Amino acid sequence: MFFPEQMTEVELVLPAEKAVAVTGVLAEAGVFHQIDSSYVSTETELEAADGWQQRASAFAALERRLLSIMELLGVEEGTPPSADMSTATDAEAAEAATDQLEKHVQAVTGDLSKERERMEFLQGYIRQLEPIRQVEAPVNVLGEAEYVFSVLGVIPVDNLERLHMSLGHIPFTLLTLWKDNRRAVVLLAGLQQHADILDRAARSAYLNALSLPEEYQGTPQQIIERLRSEIGQVHQKMVERKGKTAELREEYQEQLQALLWRVRTGRMLASALARFGKLRYTYLTVGWVPTSRLTTLVGQLKRVSEDILIETNLARRGRAERDVPVSLKSPGILRAFQQLVTTYGRPRYEEIDPTLFIAITFPILFGAMFGDVGHGFVLALLGGLVASRKIRALRSMAALGTVVAICGLSAMLFGFLYGSVFGWEQTLPALWLRPMENIMQVLLVAIAIGVFLLSVGFLTGILNAWVARDWSRLLFEHNGIAGLLLYWSLLGLAAGLLLPGFSIPISVFVALAAVSGLAVTFSVPLGRLVEGRRPLIDGGVVTYAVQIFFEMFETLIGLMSNSLSYVRVGAFAVAHAGLSAVVFILASLVSPGQGVGYWVTVVLGNVFIIGFEGMIVGIQTLRLEYYEFFSKFFTGGGTRYQPLVMFEEEE
Amino acid sequence: MAEDSVSEYAAVHARVRTMYATMLAPEEWRDLCEAADFGALIDVLKRTVYAPYLTEVDEKLLTPRRAAYQVLKRLADAFGVIMQLLPGTARALVAQLYRRYEVDNLKALLRGVEKGTPWEQVRYVLFPLGQSTVLDAQRIIEAESVGAAVEQLQGTPYYDTLSHAMKRYTAEQSLFPLEVALDLEYWRRLWRGIGQLPRSGQIPARRVVGSLLDANNLMWAIRYRINHRLSEEEIVNYTLPFGYRVHDEDIQAIAAGADIASTVGRLYPELDNVGPLIQEPQSGLPELEVRLQRLDVEVYRATFAGYPFHVGIPIAYLLLTGMEIQDLTVLIEAKSSHMPSERFEPHLLLGCVSQSATA
Repeated sequence: MFFPEQMTEVELVLPAEKAVAVTGVLAEAGVFHQIDSSYVSTETELEAADGWQQRASAFAALERRLLSIMELLGVEEGTPPSADMSTATDAEAAEAATDQLEKHVQAVTGDLSKERERMEFLQGYIRQLEPIRQVEAPVNVLGEAEYVFSVLGVIPVDNLERLHMSLGHIPFTLLTLWKDNRRAVVLLAGLQQHADILDRAARSAYLNALSLPEEYQGTPQQIIERLRSEIGQVHQKMVERKGKTAELREEYQEQLQALLWRVRTGRMLASALARFGKLRYTYLTVGWVPTSRLTTLVGQLKRVSEDILIETNLARRGRAERDVPVSLKSPGILRAFQQLVTTYGRPRYEEIDPTLFIAITFPILFGAMFGDVGHGFVLALLGGLVASRKIRALRSMAALGTVVAICGLSAMLFGFLYGSVFGWEQTLPALWLRPMENIMQVLLVAIAIGVFLLSVGFLTGILNAWVARDWSRLLFEHNGIAGLLLYWSLLGLAAGLLLPGFSIPISVFVALAAVSGLAVTFSVPLGRLVEGRRPLIDGGVVTYAVQIFFEMFETLIGLMSNSLSYVRVGAFAVAHAGLSAVVFILASLVSPGQGVGYWVTVVLGNVFIIGFEGMIVGIQTLRLEYYEFFSKFFTGGGTRYQPLVMFEEEE
Repeated sequence: MAEDSVSEYAAVHARVRTMYATMLAPEEWRDLCEAADFGALIDVLKRTVYAPYLTEVDEKLLTPRRAAYQVLKRLADAFGVIMQLLPGTARALVAQLYRRYEVDNLKALLRGVEKGTPWEQVRYVLFPLGQSTVLDAQRIIEAESVGAAVEQLQGTPYYDTLSHAMKRYTAEQSLFPLEVALDLEYWRRLWRGIGQLPRSGQIPARRVVGSLLDANNLMWAIRYRINHRLSEEEIVNYTLPFGYRVHDEDIQAIAAGADIASTVGRLYPELDNVGPLIQEPQSGLPELEVRLQRLDVEVYRATFAGYPFHVGIPIAYLLLTGMEIQDLTVLIEAKSSHMPSERFEPHLLLGCVSQSATA
């Protein structure tokens, strides 16, 4: 729970003929995070490796074709059947089957789309002719005018204004006869002497002139009637074709679904095999497996062939370790908080996973800042509703809902401690204190919480450095032992100066601060000395002196600001009570006699507090976690564990 | 600014700041520009944030074209990460911004179809959009004609535009009208996307996206007039009526025959000596374009100062990353053809010359 899952590097060397079966086992097990090993391929075998890549591309193309056929017929993808490895990588067979299906389907759907296209043409002609239906003259007369040049046609609506603009230097008329949100039927007319300009403008504005086939002669009304009659015939044919499509769907549904999943299996296997190293008679692949799943996987592989050579290497947690993928297995409710961690960064393999810390501290800090039984209850209710996945639109936010719900419960708990419900401070007794009446105490407690959390952060960072065998960071750096001692000695110094009864002599803290301060100041040369690296410093002594001065200054400022940052926990607790009081003052101003206006104001005020202040407190809590707490120990940048799987699961 | 923009942009802002800090540093640019040849350039790049993209391909397969393709993956990743973190309307806007590469891919594919280029030659010229594309690139390139390729686009946002413009392709047998139609539609959608943002987000978005659009729109107008010798009405129809600095009346003035140098000088007072560039268009116009893009770099960088919770910052970062990769592509081509630095450095936007030029 504290560290990412223990991983083992697995290297498999297998006979070439077992490659497909082994890849199938790896994918079905769903635990093998494959590393690209194709670079080990000998030059003559590179082509073969590329062949797998090509096969993967071929499968991808087949998948697209099948999906397109299925869409035409309205066939669902169905559920993945158990994969048959013996034929899964045969792209040619799959292509032949796809070709055959496509041929059968397209014979019908092709006709259907031709009819549909014809229908669109006919309807398009009608759309262009409708606006001039009343014109008694034959349509072809439009183009034969002696003094007037005109174009009747269709133009994208977006180009209309531009066309108008482009002809600003000549007289013209542009009539919009009909339009929807995409296209417009227009009549552009001007003097015959400007025909060239008008023609260029029309063309460049993509005004497609009406070009009726020669057989359509007569007045607009006559042509429209003929077109309507043809539309009726086309419609009849389409109904017939649709009937045949339904028959095809019945006939080929199962075959299409089976082929689709076979092709998907093939694509996955070929893509994985392209990442194998290919030697003369063997294949090689390397990957990472969670150690807890290794024995089962080895057993499954050995069942495929005893000739598979399996070499395993347990990944130790240390900075020398290679880029080990990180699998985070937070149980149950912690999974919701894991997202808050991964938004900041994925822990490295050797790093403590701070999910548990954030799951404890985030709700506590939030609740302390937003302590109110009523407001917390509403948040818990809303969060619970989102987390329950009952609202379809918010399903993807279920994890966030859990976090909100827990924060709401925490706010309720603090609400009892502060004696506050929907801003009323007099209804409930305060089990601990009322923030507005004990401001200084609340602020001091907040700083104490900060000191505690930062110390936990320091200790975690020290543990991380120990695990990573990073001695320089562990001993001397500002987030290591020296940094922690400096922080504590400065706190001791402050306590000695401010608290009269403090028993430990100040000189102890002065000495401790001096020693740890020097260690932090000279952390780079000391670290290199311990690790035997040279040179001890980069650049000249003067540059280094300036650099360490500013770094030390920054460290001291950082320690102070990090601690004081937690004052906001107390400040927001006070502000919450203050804001609630303002709501009641406003309500009294609106309706001194506590009429309807009073209660409307109270309700709106509470909604505002829950929405607005709740959001700000959430942001502030996140800020405290990310910038103050995480910065003490968390580096992030780990590689995501993405095991090879047969089919990606839909979210 | 609305408080909700703080919560909506807090995570993306933090992530973008981190990513911004990983852009190539001046010393890395220096090492890249000084690399002796393509191999040395790759060695230097493998010590930068681009290392994971280059090491995922076997060295033997890492040709200049493939290297350029691999570095583009960083931009694709950046778009993916940022889009995931953005709120609704901003995400839609950035998704539309990202479609710029899909439009470029589509244009490349149509050119490939017209020339009968095989898939293997085209695949690494395309931007690596991965799963986030509606284009079935391989199928399109295998289409027997441009018309058939366009038909395959049914159901995509491009079909309507292209099928309408196909009439002109059929008549003129030139891809020019198709490409212009795609470009115009792309920018109109992008500009409409800005209008969908909350009011507070529209201003920074207009500044950043508008600056990019200005340079494009202005160069279109100039090139249509000088290189293509198009008429006034054609130039107006092939350009856009909106932007940040460049307004419709400026474009119309250029289309109507106004002096280009003085128009550009008025719009961009910080650019000097524009006249000679216009008089020598073959070398001058590419240089003018680079100088306009360098001004855009300043706009993008300036976006990072001031109030941080808006969509301008992620967009500025993505555009800067795009420019960084554009520079790397220039370097890859230059180093693989042993081009001397004085020939390639003038084309760089962020690296080497521009380091000093924009400092």
